[in-house]
Amino acid sequence: MKKFAIILYTAVTLALLAWGFYQAWYVAPADAMQGEIYRVIFYHVPSASVAFLFFAISLLGSIGFLAYRRSHPDWAQRSDAWALAGAEVGVVFCTVVLLTGPIWGRRAWGIWWTWDARLTTTLVLWLIYVSYLLLRRFVAGPQMQTLAAVLGIFGALDVPIVYMSNRWWRTQHPAPVFGGDSSAGMAPAMVTALMWNMLAWLAWGILILGIRYRVERQHQKIAEREAQAALIA
Amino acid sequence: MDARAILDHEFLVAAYVITWAVQLGYLAWLGLKWRAQKRDEARNLRGGR
Amino acid sequence: MTILWTHLVKDLRIEWRSREAVNSMLFFALLVVVLFSLAFQPRGEFSQQISGGVICVATLFASMSALNQAWAREIRHQVLDAQRMAPTSGSDLFLAKVVANFLFVSIVQLVLAPVFLVFYNLRVLGPAWELALVLPLGTWALVANGTFFAALSIRSRNRELLLPLILFPIFMPALLAMVLAIGSILTGDNGQVLWIKLLAGYDIIFTTVSLLLFDVVLHAE
Repeated sequence: MKKFAIILYTAVTLALLAWGFYQAWYVAPADAMQGEIYRVIFYHVPSASVAFLFFAISLLGSIGFLAYRRSHPDWAQRSDAWALAGAEVGVVFCTVVLLTGPIWGRRAWGIWWTWDARLTTTLVLWLIYVSYLLLRRFVAGPQMQTLAAVLGIFGALDVPIVYMSNRWWRTQHPAPVFGGDSSAGMAPAMVTALMWNMLAWLAWGILILGIRYRVERQHQKIAEREAQAALIA
Repeated sequence: MDARAILDHEFLVAAYVITWAVQLGYLAWLGLKWRAQKRDEARNLRGGR
Repeated sequence: MTILWTHLVKDLRIEWRSREAVNSMLFFALLVVVLFSLAFQPRGEFSQQISGGVICVATLFASMSALNQAWAREIRHQVLDAQRMAPTSGSDLFLAKVVANFLFVSIVQLVLAPVFLVFYNLRVLGPAWELALVLPLGTWALVANGTFFAALSIRSRNRELLLPLILFPIFMPALLAMVLAIGSILTGDNGQVLWIKLLAGYDIIFTTVSLLLFDVVLHAE
């Protein structure tokens, strides 16, 4: 039953992605000022939303791990798996954002990059969570999860500060803003296409997140079995 | 004018292709990881040292 | 309070005997200042604009050498194990180390300041006394977070590599604030109040969180 549900969900996700693509390329009209290049938005903005959502999930996982690690060890392990999955899949989506953004910016505004609030925050967010993943890779031993959870909290704490500081900087020194106001002056057909792609990428993201969570849980069980075997031996 | 539109289109295609390359590349990496772990699990259950 | 003082005096005294941290920091920072001067050949207006950034980067690089071995002594002599068994909270040990490292970096900054003024031909057009506010606040942000993350990376394989990787992204807003505040003070355009407030807020938030979570890190072993 469960397998069938997963296969069904995957099929629906792929259908949504195909439908979203159709909407993005053939239904949404060309932009008055940017022409065709603006269509990057249909992949760029949903990826950003999913990335931020998954980083939030990672934060909850980190908090959960610290909260449960003495009282409910199994819940703590699950939380840690969510923390890792959220961070890693978030980084994947964030990478997409950082790659598609400059491609769009180069054609639409003539510049590959600018240090505005959104771009800078996205970049710093990416750096923070990549460093989180590196910590998990470089630190050995059972305390790794605790240290990673602490770093996860620090990182998440920093994000609003980065955003605000950059906004204030740009209030003092105005500079080009990529994407302008993303929903200002969008034709209804464009908004519809954006919504479909939001849904499609969210569905895909959840699918990948779930897979990553399962893989991590499997890894945790293997590691625990090996640790116990080492104790007995 | 048309040259610009062609380049716009090429960049657009590049953006979409890169997105899918990243997503599918990650999925492939996950698949490999899953397979490697399954092998480890099987080895452990067989009572391997 | 006395525990904090004891830890602090101990760290300062050990450093005073060897002076190795301060000396290496001083030399490294001087090198950075000279290198940037050669690379950018700053003159006049340009000099005023980039010097904020140069000071911050020099401080950053200089601090890394101190932060990298911030806990080395404690690890070598099993001090952390003793601390874990002691009934006192680890936050005293942590805070003392932050204050000690803060003093070392500040000494380096003070020594380097005249050198810097000379190499970059700086004239301070805004309120110069505010520099005495910005630099310590920015340095505290760096040292507090740096000491905390140094503790996080103690058990990692590539400790020296990991520390900057996890420190720099989180430190960025403070870096931005420090650079812009110094730039504003030097060029006299009065934009620095906002950044000083940001630095103060940043320091309060992250120092508090560090103090709260240090025991978690200490007892993670």
